[in-house]
Amino acid sequence: MIHGLPRAFVLGACLTGSAGAEPPPAGMALVPAGNYAPLFQGKNDPATIRVPAFYIDVRQVTNAEFLGFVRANPNWRRSRVSPLLTETGYLGNWSGDVELGPRAPADSPVVLVSWFAAHAYARWRGLRLPTTAEWERAVSAGFTTENGAAEPTYREAMLDWFSVPTPLVLPPAGSGRPDVYGVRNLMDLVWEWVDDFNSTFVGGDSGDDSGLDRNLVCGAGGTGVRDFTNYPAFLRFEFRSSLGANYVVPNLGFRCARSP
Amino acid sequence: MTPKLALALVASALAAAAVRGADSEKPCCVDDATAAGPVARISSRSIYQIDSTWTDDAGRAARLVSLQGRPVVLAMFFTNCEFACPIIVSNMLRIQEALPPELRAEARFVLVSFDSERDSPAALRLYRNRMRLGTAWVLLHGQPDDVRELAMVLGVKYSKDNRGQFAHSNLITVLNPAGEIAFRLVGLKSDVAAAARAVAVAVK
Repeated sequence: MIHGLPRAFVLGACLTGSAGAEPPPAGMALVPAGNYAPLFQGKNDPATIRVPAFYIDVRQVTNAEFLGFVRANPNWRRSRVSPLLTETGYLGNWSGDVELGPRAPADSPVVLVSWFAAHAYARWRGLRLPTTAEWERAVSAGFTTENGAAEPTYREAMLDWFSVPTPLVLPPAGSGRPDVYGVRNLMDLVWEWVDDFNSTFVGGDSGDDSGLDRNLVCGAGGTGVRDFTNYPAFLRFEFRSSLGANYVVPNLGFRCARSP
Repeated sequence: MTPKLALALVASALAAAAVRGADSEKPCCVDDATAAGPVARISSRSIYQIDSTWTDDAGRAARLVSLQGRPVVLAMFFTNCEFACPIIVSNMLRIQEALPPELRAEARFVLVSFDSERDSPAALRLYRNRMRLGTAWVLLHGQPDDVRELAMVLGVKYSKDNRGQFAHSNLITVLNPAGEIAFRLVGLKSDVAAAARAVAVAVK
């Protein structure tokens, strides 16, 4: 009896504390609650941010999936899309308004979509874009453990992508090795939009118009960086801070997320 | 209508009742969304394509498109801001003063809060009173996703720190009557006269 009591206690805690009691929605994986250590820290920022459990697509949204959205929402066709919501070049690798063509295979990640387009797609599916904290939390997991930084193969795989130019025709989404949560290709194929990409500030770029500038990048601003060896994270933050919500980029796609 | 939106509307109706109970003076704000008639066709560069529902500081539902037809001077802010926002609001007041009288009556000055959690319609109402903002001023509370979307359209960057303060771009945007971005005033030491001229040009 005395042995049984603590065990029941632990079991109860597991059942109530875990969001994974039900299986994840189709095509999504559960990333359990955990901590995220932002690359940049101001003096008011905590060392780590608690990220609640969330579901994330195991692969990037494909051309075929995005075509379904465009068919259902004619205002998002190339010929009709608002110039406020995307710069020129939107879905520029498609053959037509509702034709994918040879440069946009159905199962490859959709690219050349603005943040507004990605955001509208996610809303249409009843989902949302992952936050920076969620996305970075997901990519911090390795192939076999929750700490990718401690897995040499994972770090190398991540760096490999930066050394290879983006092919004109992208490989299928989800073709990479799954991480410990079952999520694929977070660190390769394409860059990905996050919901709050505009929360990243870089001094000089935005006309010295924000309070965060001094903590970020460039010159002494680099002192705000906590892990100098995390080069891929550095690149991601630089990349995000260079984006506008109407930008379309040939190697920038997205995946969706939702809260349990 | 999503359950979340329905709930928000009920909540805003309750807030409206509370605010009106406390103070019978009727602030001039965005027309009630339900009372708004058919609107002119929205230009493809208009920010009024963003079809989100907000709540003004009287607790009434408000849509940005109801500002269509007037020049608008708009900024994002939050009432607990310790540094930049008072300067932004003071710059907007200076723009208002710099306008010729007929434009001063026509233009609207819109403040949209980053802080969906703390800047309730009632909190915005207190801010209006504290800052003595006149009837041309519109103060809006929105859901986080709608705040994010509007910030994206305007090109405003922001992030929340662990004290609940927001770091944000300091930006005042002038919209022409169609809702197109006519002028952007970036930074705190700004050329208010240029913004006032932009308002005048925008209505031509």
